Parts: sequence; structure tokens; C-alpha cells
Amino acid sequence: MSENVKHTSGGFDFAERARQILSTEPILTAKDVEVKFTLRDRELTAIRRCSLDLYDGETLAIVGESGSGKSVFTKLFVGMLDKNGKITNGSIMYEGKDLAKLTGERAWRGIRGSKIAMVTQDPMTSLNPLRRVGVQIREAVELHQGLRGGAARAEAVRLMEAVGIQDAERRYAMYPHEFSGGMRQRVVIAIAIACRPKILICDEPTTALDVTIQAQILELIRRLQREYRMTIIYITHDLGVVANVADRVAVMYAGQIVEIGMADEIFFDPYHPYSWALLSALPQLGRKGERLPAIDGTPPNLFNQITGDSFAPRNRRALNIDFLEEPPLFDVTPTHQSKTWLMDPRAPKVEKPDIISRLRAAEEDSAPAVTTAPEGEREPLVECRDLQVTFGSGRKKFIAVDHVYLTIYKGETLALVGESGSGKTTIGRAIIRINPVSGGEVLYRGQRISGKIDKALDREVIRRIQMIFQDPMASSNERAKVDYIVSEGLINHHLYANDEERKAKVAKALEEVGLLPEFASRFPHEFSGGQRQRIGIARSLIMQPEFIIADEPISALDVSIRAQVLNLLNELKASRGLTYLFIAHDLSVVRYIADRIAVIHKGRIVELADSEALFRCPLHPYTRALLSAVPNPDPYLERTKKTLVYDPGMHDYTTDRPVWKELAPGHFVYGNAPELRKYAARLAETGNA
Amino acid sequence: MSPRKTIDELAAPVPVLDVDKGQVDTHEERYQRGRIHVQSRARMPEKQLFDFAEYQAREAERTGYSDYSYWKSVWHNFLKKKSAVFMSVVFLLLFVFTFIALGISKFDVYNLRLDNELMFHAPDGEFWFGTDNLGRDYWCQVWYATRTSILLAVSVSVGEIALGVVMGLIWGYVRSLDRFFTELYNFVDNIPTIIYMTLIALMVGKSFIIIGVALIAVSWLHTARNIRNLVFMYRDREYNLASRCLGTPLHRVLAKNIFPYLVSVIILRLALSIPSTIAYETTLTYLGLMDISLPSLGILLRNARNYFLDYPYLLVFPAAIVSIITVTFYLVGNAFSDACDPRNHV
Repeated sequence: MSENVKHTSGGFDFAERARQILSTEPILTAKDVEVKFTLRDRELTAIRRCSLDLYDGETLAIVGESGSGKSVFTKLFVGMLDKNGKITNGSIMYEGKDLAKLTGERAWRGIRGSKIAMVTQDPMTSLNPLRRVGVQIREAVELHQGLRGGAARAEAVRLMEAVGIQDAERRYAMYPHEFSGGMRQRVVIAIAIACRPKILICDEPTTALDVTIQAQILELIRRLQREYRMTIIYITHDLGVVANVADRVAVMYAGQIVEIGMADEIFFDPYHPYSWALLSALPQLGRKGERLPAIDGTPPNLFNQITGDSFAPRNRRALNIDFLEEPPLFDVTPTHQSKTWLMDPRAPKVEKPDIISRLRAAEEDSAPAVTTAPEGEREPLVECRDLQVTFGSGRKKFIAVDHVYLTIYKGETLALVGESGSGKTTIGRAIIRINPVSGGEVLYRGQRISGKIDKALDREVIRRIQMIFQDPMASSNERAKVDYIVSEGLINHHLYANDEERKAKVAKALEEVGLLPEFASRFPHEFSGGQRQRIGIARSLIMQPEFIIADEPISALDVSIRAQVLNLLNELKASRGLTYLFIAHDLSVVRYIADRIAVIHKGRIVELADSEALFRCPLHPYTRALLSAVPNPDPYLERTKKTLVYDPGMHDYTTDRPVWKELAPGHFVYGNAPELRKYAARLAETGNA
Repeated sequence: MSPRKTIDELAAPVPVLDVDKGQVDTHEERYQRGRIHVQSRARMPEKQLFDFAEYQAREAERTGYSDYSYWKSVWHNFLKKKSAVFMSVVFLLLFVFTFIALGISKFDVYNLRLDNELMFHAPDGEFWFGTDNLGRDYWCQVWYATRTSILLAVSVSVGEIALGVVMGLIWGYVRSLDRFFTELYNFVDNIPTIIYMTLIALMVGKSFIIIGVALIAVSWLHTARNIRNLVFMYRDREYNLASRCLGTPLHRVLAKNIFPYLVSVIILRLALSIPSTIAYETTLTYLGLMDISLPSLGILLRNARNYFLDYPYLLVFPAAIVSIITVTFYLVGNAFSDACDPRNHV
């Protein structure tokens, strides 16, 4: 077996781990599980005969897109299937009991929480906002450990310390709203481990959190697993997170596990075309100027009967048999199974795509340096000068954005990266004039567009500056047809002579974003997230803008869809000469798409540089912390990485006022004189190296 | 590991698949294509089975299309409430009957004779609902009153809701007007409606139109407030920001982005407003604040109060009709609000 596990470099030995896991008996065995939901008198098969062995003490990551059934499948283990769903086949054996046949709260009580516990995505929904945090933890302790009074309280405080909540005694009496998102998630984890469960199911526990907080929570879960000897099932769509936590990885698609294996086997030696597609669509692997190998199409509709390989219609190298017959699970190694006909001896030999090999190469910084146009040729399109945006007034006044200087040149993509609450969206909205500016000004082609401007300029600016929104579900009017949504701008500005011309323009815009013109007569709810995002892009494009503010346009999308949208944005940039302000919270995506990157922290831009320069030589400690927290899709790198923690208290600005200064051509940083000297020294060092 | 099928089994003609029945998706043409796909492959020799298949972009883009329609589901759920459906039918028949009843009556409602000898004539073949204290035919009066009351209630309710919705949308969406409307609401709401109606009746007049307009003028604020609170839920959604970025004027944002989401609530309010207007009208007449030259249900009830212990039929007929109307709209309103709740659309 060891010869199959090829990559044993790095700090972690997966071969050893595989031997450990295989030598134990599975503690939970799901076999041929089928789950059906009834929705409006129609039947939907969410899990299609899915089998899984879970071994003691391992961390199994289940990866899949939304609707792949990963959450539904694991909810079965704690008996939390929604009311309209039922298990129609198969068994889930745990400690000699078949969980698939357990019914009623009483039967589940001995298992849910005490043996198998769950941590969900949004901590606010699992905590009671009206009760003190400590009391909620104590309740779990009393219920499952049988402790009472002072002993229970002491145990609750101990648990809070165990999950890394400092000053636990004082925080015991606080309410959930007084905690930050990361802290709340720690409380939820404390409640989950209060009962010392054998198995902990984490359902996207960090998806709602910032990258730096995410890194901390992942670290915490790993530590708790060692201390409490738990088995962890980790559900996520983020392959970077998978690389960080997982011993084994299961890839789910359309209600089935299509490939399962040790983390290194899945990342470096996958066999299923869907795994290939998933890995190669990662923006982290993309090189600027190249198209990302996107997965075309959308996941199958589970209402329909699926014949053969569920991925076949989207697979460009599908075999004829894929449309006829469901492939069995073929063994690659004792730990690695793949459900694809390509493994059959009769099948033609298909090599996995080259780009996957970049996963290992990503470790050595192989990205070619990008040459940017010389300073003189660049024409500023949008400028922010000393921009300040405040909310509220009087004592409740809150400064969201302060002293922001930003110049966006024609034809470039400038990425604005920061965590939630940093003010990145506020800047975007200030430029497009949704948020009023309270200080400084915004210039468009040298003309002031913030504050009061005359009607003609107002109309001009509306047409030339457009926005793409984060959540494709929330940003389209569900009660209007696609036709109206896309042509809204045309109607407002009377940009058509007659109705035929308007319809033609809508059809053209839809085609341009890769949608069928006949979609115009449908309502948004009929489309998937990626398609809706493309409708949103068509809505902005129809105005013939030259500057587009893209506010986290891919963060709400599935992994396989992200690449499609990024490719589309890049193509439009080339064909129409667009300029983008790309707002993101994740540095990894930005490297592929951006020419320059600005990092924002607490309403202030702390560093701005050419994209490669920023990655090669980050100066500001906050940028460095952000970079270190970015999850890489490489299990070896992730297992050994050290994350830096940024503490704003490290700056001493009492005597020496910080300034915004250009240290190298195009590389700006925010700091006071001693800091700037330090940064300059580091810049010189890396520049020479 | 599932056992591998032999090639002969694979090559056998494929039985008709569920897909082919088209039970799920109505787009026939898609399935047609899918079937040819599957059947032609099924007869392939083994070697070809493992050849590459042709990629079809349309198959890949085949969406998670669902034919879910909000209003279809609302209607579907509403029809499940048998009592509400039954009562709506009863009400509609009742309303249509008010016209028929006057037609088939032996007397003309506009020329009823006063006849002391026919006072309190019990219902029989001649006077179907008997006669009142002045000897007039009660059948004509009851049905005429029903028609009047329903028309008054419907027009007042529609007027009040229409005004309230328009003002409520503006109140909710335009932040700078919030203060003004809130103060106006507080001011009007603090005056007891009955005092206000008394003043109107005594100073302006008691005719149906005046009272109707006065009722609209006071009650729209409550609807507006309700609508305003609902607008808050949708006002800051991203699709409204998108509309602002496109420069959509206020009236179109309200009409296209906000109003469609409120339709269910508006219909619900309308349904509940009709019985309450009838009740109001009854109260006002009872207090003598309305013109009594033409019968309405309120007037009949007021009249009956002096005699109903001796002649219960005077009270029973109008009261029964008021009850039917009230119960109908109550049931319909509730059934409708349940049907509108997307959580019940499972």
C-alpha cells in the first residue's frame, strides 16, 4: 500500500495514518442509505445508496457542492432529518444499533449529543439569544454529565477555557450578542463537547467566519480532537479547509460518494473526473491570463431520475457507458475508492489534467512575475481622495471608512481585500453613491461625483459605473421576470427605440454571459446560484459600463461555479476593456484575478501593491497575518503551516503619526516612521534575493 | 461493491425509464433528446461502450428547473381549506341573490306601503320574511339592506386599503418622510374614532358617501402603518440596491420591487376589513349617526332591537346575514394567510 501513497514529504505521514486507520474497526457503518424527500407532492432522492465507514479517531472531510446531500447524509447520524424526508433503504450501524430505524426523541436521547454531537454553520441559530452563554453550556453539562450546581458551573467555565475563551469567569455571564462570530462558534463547540461525544459532526463551522478566525477555529478543532479522542466528520465545500483538517476525504456528488481516500490520495492522485474538475477549478491554481478550467453546466436536478454516472452530462470526456450504467466503486488502494468507469480495464486511458500537478508546485512560488504597464501610460479612471464614510450621528457616530486614497486605472482589476466589517463594501458603495460620503471626494475621469452633482453627469455616472452583488439570490427581484431584471437599466434611461430593440438587447446580453435567450421569460427562482449571478452580470453589462464594482461576486457560489464566473469576468474585461474594483475577503482568489491588491483593515487601507509584489513581499503585519491564514489546497502545506495573529495593539501611534507612503514604485503602506524604515529594509532584502 | 453487469445485459434494449414518462419536468423536448441518447447507446457493442461520448452543452446546463409558482401554490393550499371555500361560495351566492331576491319579490322596495293593519305580520306565503312595525314587507328590506351593506363595506375597504398601501409604501421606503407620517399617525390614532365619526355626522352630514369617505380617511393610516413595517423587511435587500445603481425611479421601485411581495398581506387585510366595516356601519347606525332613509343591515338591526323579544324574526334574518358575511371573511382571511405562508408550500 505504501507504494501507492507517493508523496510522503512534508511534516505529516499519511501512509502511517492510513495504516492506523485501517487497523481499527469502523465505529460507524452506513450501508446503501437512500433518503427521499417529498416536496409539493413530488419525490426527490437526496441520498442515492450511499455507503460510508467511519473509523475511530479519524477526521473525515466530506466535500461537495450545495445540494450534493452532504448535510442531509450526516444529519441522519443524529436523527435530525427534516420532517418531509425519510430513509427508504439501508442501515447506519453504530454500537450495534441501527440508527436508520430509531424513531422518537426518547430513542435518540442516548445518542444525539452524548455520543454523536453536531456543530452547525451559523452559531447564532444554535444559541439562545436570551440566555447567558455560561448557562447554556452548564445546561448541556447538567444534562449529559449529571453534575449539579457549583460543580456544573465549574465544569462549564473549564470548558470555556478549553475552547480558548479567555477570561471565562467573566464571560460566563455574558449574552451571545456580546460575543464575536468566532467566539460564538467556540461556545457552540463547548456545548457540543460538554457531553464528551465520540463523534463530532462539524457542518461548515467556519464558512461564516473570516479567514483569520477560521484558521483559529480549525486549530481548536484539531486540538480538541487530540485531547478528547474524538472522531470528526467535517463537512465543507472549501478544499483549503479540507487540506487543513482531514485525514480522509470523501467527495460527494448528487447524493453519492464518488471518491473517497486519504487526503493526499484525493489531492494528488484523484481518479474521478469530478474530483479532477473540482481541483482544477480552484482559482488558487490559476495563472493570470489563462482561463480557469471551469466545470460547465449545473449540478443535476435530483427530482429527475439519474441514469448512469451522475456527472456524465457535465464531463467532457464521458464514456458512452457513463450514460447507461452506474459505475461501481473501484479500489485504487485499500484506502482509496473511486466510482468511475475510467477505472475499468476496458476503458481507455485518460490522464488526469496537468493543472492538478500544480497543487504540489504551488508550494514553490512558481507564478511568473507579471509586468505592469509603466506609470506614465496609465489613465486614472476612478479616484478616492481622503474618503471618509460615517454612519449614524452624534454619540452613535461610527466611522466606517477613513482617509482612503485609492486610484483605479483604466483597464486594470484592483482588488480590495479585508475581513467583515473592514469597510470594503462601504468603499464600493460610496463610489457608486449608495452610501453618502462624509469627507473627501470621489472622482470619475477627473470629475467629482460624490455629493451633489448635476443631472447630466448623474445619468452618465449611473450608466458608466455598475455593480455586481455578492448574493445572487438576494440581488435579483424574485417577483420579476428575467426580462425585466435585465432591461431595468434600459427602461430607466430609455436606451431603446422600440420593444423589439429592447428584447434584442436583452437576448444579446444573456448570450454574452452564456445563458440562453429564452431564459428571459422565466423567473429567477428557476435558476441556480451561478446562473443567477450571470443574470446579475448581464443586468450591469446592458448599460455598457466601463467600470464595474464586483462586491464579492463569487463568495456565495459553489466551487465548480466560481471558475465559470471568474472566467466570464476576465473575458468581458478583455472584450470590452472593462475596469474592475473586485471586493473580496479571500486573498487566494484575488491573486488570480487582480492586477493590484489593496488590503483594508478597520476602515483604513494598510497596504497597496501589485498583486505579485504583495504576495512575494507583504509588509504590513496585517497583510502577513491574512496571507498566513489563507487555506491552501495542499494537505502537507496546511498540516505544517503556522498562522500569524495580527494584534492592532502592536502599533504605537501616540507620538509618531502614521502616514500613507509609497516605499517602492506602486507599493504603498501605512505606518509611522520607524515602521516604514523596517518595511523598507524588508523590501530591499527581498528585492535583492 | 455492486456486481458488474455482463455486456449482454447492458446491450439489451432499455426498458422505458421514468424519465421518459415526463412526470417530473414538462419540457417534453428535453426528454425526447435524453431518450434517444440512452437507447442508441444501449445497443452499442462492448468496444463502443467504452468510447468517449459526445459532449452536449445543453444537457450540462439542464437546470434544477422547478415549476414552482408562488401563486399556484397559494391557490392550491387555499383550496385545501374546505370550510373557507364553502363559505366563499355561500357568500357569492348570497350577494348574487340580493339582486334576484328583489326581482322575484312581490313588492317594490322603493314604494313600500305603510299599512298599520299589516304590522308584525309573521312570515308566510305572502310576506316571505314577514312585515316590520310599520307593516312593510321585510323580505325586500333585508335583501336591499344586505346589498347596501356589502357595497358600502367593499367600497370603503377597497378605498381604505388602496390609499393605505400607496401611503404605506412611501412611508416605508422614503426615510425622510418617516417622521411626518409617524407624528400624523400618533395624532389621528389618539382621537377616539367614535368621537370623530360623531362630529363628522353632526357637522358634515349623515349620508352614505360622507360616512364612507370619513371612514376611509381615518382607517387608511392603520393599513399604511402595517404596510410600512412590512416595507422595512424588503427595503434594504440587495435587489433594491441594484435598482438604485441602475437609476430606477422611486415609483417603479415601489411598484416592481416592493409591492409584489406585499400582495398576499394586502388581500388578507382587505378580507378582514370588509366584516369590520360592516360591524362599524352597524354600530354607527345603531348610534343614530347614519341616514336611515334607505335600509342597511345596521338600520334593520337597530329597528329590530325594540321588538325582537316579541317578534324574533325581525332580528334573526339580518343577524344571520351579518354572521354569514363576518364568518366568511374571517375564514377566508385566515385560510388565505396560511396559504400565503411559503413554509406551508411543502
